[in-house]
Amino acid sequence: MSSREDTLVLLLAGGVGTRLNILVKTRAKPAVPFAGLYRIIDFSLSNVMNSGMKHVGVLTQYKPLSLMRHLATGEAWDFTGRSRGVKILPPSTGFRDSDWYKGTADAIRQNLNFVRAHPSKEILILSGDHIYQMDLDAMIEFHRQKNADITIGMMVVPESQIHQFGAGITNDEGRIVEWEEKPKVARTNLASMGIYVFNYEYLMQLLTEDKEIVDFGMHLVPKAISRDSVFAYPFEGYWRDVGTIQAYWEANMDLLKDDPEISPEAWGIRPNLESEQLLADRIPARLAAGSKVKRSMISAGCVIEGEVVNSVLSPGVIVGPGCSIRDSIILHDCIIEEGATVDLAIMDKRARIGKGAVIGSGDNKNIPNSKYPGHLYTGITLIGKEADIPPGTVIGRNCIINPWCKQNCFTDNAVQDGATI
Amino acid sequence: MKLKPRTLAMILAGGRVDDLTVLTFHRPKSAVPFGGFTRVIDFPLSNLMNSGLDRVAILSQYRSYSLINHIGIGEAWDMIGRYRGISILPPYIGYGHSQWYRGSSDAVYQNLDFVEYINPEQLLILSGDHIYRMDYRELINYHREKDADLTMACIKVPRREAHRFGLADIDDEDGETGGRVVRYREKPDNPEYNWASLTVFCFKPEVLYQVLESNIKEDASYEFGRDIIPRMMNENRRVFGYKFRGYWGYTRTIEEYWQTNMDLLGPDPKIKFADWGVRTNLEHRGIRDCQPLKIGDNARISDSLIYNGCIIEGDVERSILFPGTRVEKGAKVKDSVLFFKNVVGKEAMLDKVISDVNTTFGRGVRINTEGKPGPKEASVIGWNNFIKANTIIGSGCTVYPSLPSEKIPKQVESGEVIR
Repeated sequence: MSSREDTLVLLLAGGVGTRLNILVKTRAKPAVPFAGLYRIIDFSLSNVMNSGMKHVGVLTQYKPLSLMRHLATGEAWDFTGRSRGVKILPPSTGFRDSDWYKGTADAIRQNLNFVRAHPSKEILILSGDHIYQMDLDAMIEFHRQKNADITIGMMVVPESQIHQFGAGITNDEGRIVEWEEKPKVARTNLASMGIYVFNYEYLMQLLTEDKEIVDFGMHLVPKAISRDSVFAYPFEGYWRDVGTIQAYWEANMDLLKDDPEISPEAWGIRPNLESEQLLADRIPARLAAGSKVKRSMISAGCVIEGEVVNSVLSPGVIVGPGCSIRDSIILHDCIIEEGATVDLAIMDKRARIGKGAVIGSGDNKNIPNSKYPGHLYTGITLIGKEADIPPGTVIGRNCIINPWCKQNCFTDNAVQDGATI
Repeated sequence: MKLKPRTLAMILAGGRVDDLTVLTFHRPKSAVPFGGFTRVIDFPLSNLMNSGLDRVAILSQYRSYSLINHIGIGEAWDMIGRYRGISILPPYIGYGHSQWYRGSSDAVYQNLDFVEYINPEQLLILSGDHIYRMDYRELINYHREKDADLTMACIKVPRREAHRFGLADIDDEDGETGGRVVRYREKPDNPEYNWASLTVFCFKPEVLYQVLESNIKEDASYEFGRDIIPRMMNENRRVFGYKFRGYWGYTRTIEEYWQTNMDLLGPDPKIKFADWGVRTNLEHRGIRDCQPLKIGDNARISDSLIYNGCIIEGDVERSILFPGTRVEKGAKVKDSVLFFKNVVGKEAMLDKVISDVNTTFGRGVRINTEGKPGPKEASVIGWNNFIKANTIIGSGCTVYPSLPSEKIPKQVESGEVIR
């Protein structure tokens, strides 16, 4: 039983995140690893935990397996106990109105049974896609003070980026008077973060009375601002949608700056250490004699014999003697054998780089990937999960090596800039 | 079908071990941190987990809080379930009974009702104080094969050190595996044989019950090594020795404790830590809230083990750093073991220092950096201390826990104890 005074949290974790390319081949975007130990969704879940909310529904749709494993009982975020809980809400068939989720509002509508079972004062809707720290309780407080029907978390972004967001124009008291979803011409720099507080009854009524409402930003908010009380809750601080390879890489690199704006530990972000990679079984990172590590984050279980500069390493990465790793993100249990070079790359789990191979060779960072020029255009090369790069192979810039590419996928010992294997 | 556990393991974790000085002022030896993230007791507990033995009791008496906190519900070692669990058994008062544990065997004796309730086929009694990896199933299988009353694990030690141990003379009945114990002496002055007991005992419960009863009635001392085993030898019980040949860290002195930590390092470490499958409770001291180790531009790190949650901007060489420790710019840490949440200030230099939890070394502090090259004694700093800037502390010094910082002089000579 939840108390009427509580806030029910619904976390939208169904995003495909296509632009993350091969990183989302086997997992949903919220399950993409980040900052060595974490997954993207840990930031939202930990914000919820630290804000004292006790009931969470996680709406999944796309490749939910690794997400489900990761959430497990929710114990990592203190969601177990008599009055606490986290539930996975996948799409289901067999009922009238049930289908794949057609949009954010539709996803909530299809789970009204869950919502009815958890009567509360407000419903807080979050996305599991973003890297940020936020006191959500303060936002609820704001919502109550304004006596709002809807409160939307919003932040100032450069006008050049506003076309990616829901954009709002507010009056002096913070009420949203105009709304444009992904506007082509910027009239404001106030962008929606995809965080909504609704009064419980208000949302229930809107979703049941108007079946045309499928998406919050596209349908619900424009309809609501004309007749109801919709407020913008201003957020200042670090917030990133790491939905592109470039943004994902940059946010990881932000961790390494002096006085970084982003610090998962200081933010109180918790990973689930008991899930599949079993951090619980990892010993401290071993930095051998002769290793050289600068400006990097190194997780437990890594063994470093070579050089690592400006990089983020997840648990269990092995860097052999004479290797050089620069400006890269290397996920769990990758092996980089003796004398190999990895420059400006993202390596998914358990990939292996053979002896003396070079990943990210040459200076042609501006030759985009030929298959996905919109995804890779700044020089970052992607190495897929469990890919096995033969010794001595030289791979250029903006390349994609697909997951599970074994040594026999490589007919040549050179992969040109922008190529995909 | 095996549902109920056939083996009950009891871990003796009550001891303080005086030679570890300030490290055991606030915790039993078994709860002393080791190896950058674990506690000593994690080794027997993980051995049990990896041996598939999951009904465990811990006998604890001295300063149990740290230990109880560490064990939690036993989930870290997968010991929760219908027949799986860790019970902590502290001393208690009862009707007509109120007694501290008067020795290791008395601790078991006072909990015989618990043992009888579990009713195991064999009782495995372990020390919680040692660093080693063993598959106890091999010992138990040997014990069953020999239909032994007691099988004890032993390791060959150098003659000159043998007087510190309980020693068994094992015949060659089963060659490399083990044999009958034909003689046994507890810590003899002049050892004649050198298979040292590891405090890993597998008992036939009915026999142990009888021996404990007569020990309580007839003796004034209640220790397994000193009393129970000699009594069994006298009674001509079937006592066997199981020959263990792996690594064993006794860690009863500061030097041994330090050396065992150092055995985790080097190009070919004696302890293959990653292969040992040691687990710890990551909830304890908030280890699970730590982000990955962060290394700055000026850091130089060599041959070290460093856990998540550390921030390194200075030099670290041949050292072991627990979560939350910070080494600032220009600082140098060498041959040291720094527990949780130490701060080594700018230009501070530590050489062969063991420092307990929450200690801060101010700017320019130097500990154990003077003197001739070659082996030197470790200096040990108790927890919750603040060592003021530019303080110089010598070799083999001890600083008591939680001292007001003005009690620590600017200059501490080698061998001094600051209390």
